[in-house]
Amino acid sequence: MKNKRSRQGDASLAPNWFQRNKKVLALLTMVSPTAIWLLLLRYLPIGGIVLAFKSYKIFPRDPTFWNNLIHSKWVGLKNFEFIFKTDQALVAIRNTILYNIVFIILGAIIPVAFAIMMNEFTKKFVAKAYQTMMFFPYFLSWVVVSYFLNAFIDAQYGVLPAAQAAAGKDVISWYTTTKPWPLIIIFANLWKNVGYSTVLYLAAITGIDASQYEAAAIDGASKWQQIRYVTLPHLRTMISILLILNVGKIFAADFGLFYNVPMQSGALFPVTQVIDTYIYRVFITTGNISQSSAAGLLQNVIGFVCIMLANAVVKRIDPESTLF
Amino acid sequence: MRKNHRLNQISVGTETIFHVIVGLFSICCIIPFIFVIVISFTAESSIREIGYSFIPRAWSTGTYTYAIQRLPQIWRSYFNSILITVIGTALSTLMCALYSYALFRPDFKYRGFFTFFSFFTMIFGGGLVPTYVICTQVLGLRENYAALIVPLLVSPFNIIIMRTFFKSSVPLELIEAATIDGSGEYSTFFMVVLPIAKPGLATIALLNALAYWNDWYLSLLYIKQNKVLQPLQALLMELQNNVEYLNRMSAALGSSAIQEAMRAPTQTLRMVLVVLIVIPIACAYPFFQRYIVSGLTIGSVKG
Amino acid sequence: MKKIVSLLLALVMFAGVFAFTNTASAEEPVTLKIWFHGSNVSPEASKKVLDELNVYLNEKIGAKLDVIWGTWGDFDTAVVTALAGGDNVDMYFTCNWSADEYNKYARDGYWVKLDDLLPQYGADLLATIPEGIWECAKTNGYDGMGIYAVPALKDTATQNCWDVNGTLLAELGYDVDAICAKGLDYYSPEFEEMLQKAKDLKASQGVNDFYPLCVEPMVLERLVNVTSIVTGDLGSGNVLSYYYDKEHPAKDIGSKIVNKFSTPEFEKYAARTYELAQKGFISPSIQNVATSNDYRTACQNSGEYLISTQSYAYGCEIDFSKARGIDVRMVPASAPYMDSTSGQGAMMAISTVSKNPEKALQFLNLLNTDPYVMTTLNYGLEGFTFNKNADGTITWIEENRATYSPWRNGMGNVRILPPTADEGVNYWKDFAEYYNSAEALPYGSFIFDSSEVETEGAAIANVFAEYAFGLCSGATDPAAVLAEFLQKLEAAGINEFVAAANEQLAKYAG
Repeated sequence: MKNKRSRQGDASLAPNWFQRNKKVLALLTMVSPTAIWLLLLRYLPIGGIVLAFKSYKIFPRDPTFWNNLIHSKWVGLKNFEFIFKTDQALVAIRNTILYNIVFIILGAIIPVAFAIMMNEFTKKFVAKAYQTMMFFPYFLSWVVVSYFLNAFIDAQYGVLPAAQAAAGKDVISWYTTTKPWPLIIIFANLWKNVGYSTVLYLAAITGIDASQYEAAAIDGASKWQQIRYVTLPHLRTMISILLILNVGKIFAADFGLFYNVPMQSGALFPVTQVIDTYIYRVFITTGNISQSSAAGLLQNVIGFVCIMLANAVVKRIDPESTLF
Repeated sequence: MRKNHRLNQISVGTETIFHVIVGLFSICCIIPFIFVIVISFTAESSIREIGYSFIPRAWSTGTYTYAIQRLPQIWRSYFNSILITVIGTALSTLMCALYSYALFRPDFKYRGFFTFFSFFTMIFGGGLVPTYVICTQVLGLRENYAALIVPLLVSPFNIIIMRTFFKSSVPLELIEAATIDGSGEYSTFFMVVLPIAKPGLATIALLNALAYWNDWYLSLLYIKQNKVLQPLQALLMELQNNVEYLNRMSAALGSSAIQEAMRAPTQTLRMVLVVLIVIPIACAYPFFQRYIVSGLTIGSVKG
Repeated sequence: MKKIVSLLLALVMFAGVFAFTNTASAEEPVTLKIWFHGSNVSPEASKKVLDELNVYLNEKIGAKLDVIWGTWGDFDTAVVTALAGGDNVDMYFTCNWSADEYNKYARDGYWVKLDDLLPQYGADLLATIPEGIWECAKTNGYDGMGIYAVPALKDTATQNCWDVNGTLLAELGYDVDAICAKGLDYYSPEFEEMLQKAKDLKASQGVNDFYPLCVEPMVLERLVNVTSIVTGDLGSGNVLSYYYDKEHPAKDIGSKIVNKFSTPEFEKYAARTYELAQKGFISPSIQNVATSNDYRTACQNSGEYLISTQSYAYGCEIDFSKARGIDVRMVPASAPYMDSTSGQGAMMAISTVSKNPEKALQFLNLLNTDPYVMTTLNYGLEGFTFNKNADGTITWIEENRATYSPWRNGMGNVRILPPTADEGVNYWKDFAEYYNSAEALPYGSFIFDSSEVETEGAAIANVFAEYAFGLCSGATDPAAVLAEFLQKLEAAGINEFVAAANEQLAKYAG
């Protein structure tokens, strides 16, 4: 960064050039703090990616991290093998993708709908109250949530099994019955994330110039028409950006959700095992940082490809709403 | 009176339906937290007898006493958390706004490059260990406040979101007009653009504040000896893990560990710690919310 | 393009800074940095104790100590990251159950091999620790077979016991002493009758969800089947078993390492456990991985159980009885034995990063042989955390001890500590006697190196997580799932895994 600036400093001796480039220079100073940060904390360590292709060992004669990295043996794609080794892994991959598709679709529709509805409430403080409440899940870790859920479905103490027993019905053993879990997982995910996205959309709606609604109202547009022709078009960019970013996470899952909420019950693995839990269980077994780097890299590469594809698709439909 | 008000409104019936949908969901969101509060005041004996319940058999503040007594540093950690959150949020929000503003400007020559420059790091990274090595050995981020602030300063996700906010709320003509009026880039940014982008800015600030307040991982990695700097969340997580670990392994760890494990109110501690961490940030929440929701319904009220 | 060139230039520049800072730290005086675990030590107390200890250390070996008081809360991620990143720490706690697993980390080059250094810098230490324990510490590291860490002379044997609530047993009309002397048989009708009586008694008192069998499922399996853990098995659980003789663990009964789930013993165990669970003797909360520990400890602490399991630590029945307010009896299921799993339970290793491995070893030598160093570091200062009594025991000054309590077993030779008044004058003598009496398993110091079958291990770990706990805790019916489990294990490569272990065992036996 320093080099760049001094070079441009020399050029500024010619007043014309400086005048001409004043705007660019100003904008460059705006990006520089973040750009320097990215360079130091993200690009400098990026060499670590090669870990995925090495078997990390210490170089005992002079064991600094970079020495270790350089002297560790290349093992090609061996660190990736375990991801595709068994049926288990394939189940995990299938689950991850299926859940993510559902999350992406619902995660786009519901927060937008909520934001629009809340925007229409006559009493502003009610909207505020709702919105505050929706943010609480963000504070609760998945472990705490798992105990909350457990209070309802625990075989020994749970409210639901007790009710079933009282009503003389068969008591479901919740932690060994796979059927209800996809629904539980999907709801839990929405519960946790809707508040967060709703805030983003609400803020976007708030940014809309009030005069646009007035103009529409004067033209005789009904409230529904105003939503359709003023609000939604304004949200379009935000919707598509969040959509693209979420598509990029298709090969990754929220570890805490899938690990803690089903309370690690083995009987539920067919519907709760995802890539991240699979990798975690491998990692605590082998403690091999090369393997976990490999898994992470694979997730990233797939995510990158998906984002690029999604971005290209959006570009065709609406060039204004792309990531780049 | 009522009728006049509804001129530019959806019908009462529709609004009621909206209230039911959003209201029900909101209640679902808040109930677990109420549950947490109830459990935090529940006696351990009640949990053993009837499990976690909204209506415990016996109440107790013992776990709070235990937590505060086990954490002599708790007030200092509150201070640390507030300090880190305030400085971190201010810096990261400013940096984010500056960076994404430049990316938003279509007349910025290197826009494409810098967009990709930040986006790429959202997907690819060197991983935990290389980052740790750079932070501790090159940047000196260890055993100091900077180690708790610097690593969270930039979030590529927030940059993209902020750019989107600029795109959807700031008309380019306004910037052009300001430039023609002779306003410099920085004064345009601070005087013209930021006031319009307030809701977006507040949202980003909120996200940053939450990230700083909730973080314990940085402290785990970078604060090992100078533990007076520990933020609250880190202090609480450490206690929680400590107790869980003792509980699981007490026999293997020997008799002093057995006695320690016996004293710990394992089952309620988790909940007490949540209450201790959430209350302060929940109090700060309305401050951000004012900017995010304030503009809501302005259009309709005027109608 | 120009931008990219300048970015590259900047990169080179920072790499230069990096190289510089890296070499600069070599010139410092001899400070030994050590990382302990499980400590609860305040910064002020730490300073007070270390200031005094360092004067002594400086005189003795010309070094001073700088301690990282790690807790149980940070010992996984933080240590692993620091080690992989080459942090400037001289000594680490390590063992075969922590994230910086001793044998793997020795293989990967993290620890200094001590064999050549010990005679010169740790002669006393070499003499103090029994040969059998050194034998357990030998592992096949990056620099060949040898000792890569100093084992702590603490509870160096394993003994699985039934933890019996004597108070409740007496209430049921049993002769507690007689039962304890005779031992318990998991498969006997008497065992079941006992559980049933306890359940009936509680039901008659209005407690309907009393579950008398309050166990740690994975321990119960080893206890009942008389098997030991094979060191180097999967980090997340044990799939390998090694059967030993109940009365004389040292006796060679011709055991091989086996896939524990494929044995008839396991099938019998799983069927019996499922049967007991069906009869309502095992709580559903015990059968849930996430709540199992919390629930078990809660029931034990309040005395709400009849029979439980315990991996015995010397004197623990006294601590338990006092804490739970009941008469806790430990009924041995087998004789105590020694193997590398117990021998490697707590160790101190010198990092290959250390600039002064000789000094570090000199320090470890003192820590294990000099009562003053051990007592000061472990217990604090006389007059600050404890007072000495006339009979040689010590009494805590509670309010200061609370700010300075490291994990006692995590440092080294605890047998040179003064006993506390509660423990009594003869405590360490009896302690040593008990642990010294333990027999070593045949090939007990064998260590399995699973790095060659890591891919299989990875796959097995996930199958294990799906089935093992349910079967061991009686939640699932072995008649329904055991075959499926075994078949999936085979698909994941358990046979290669077991074969590799046996091949190494054969080589080890010579």
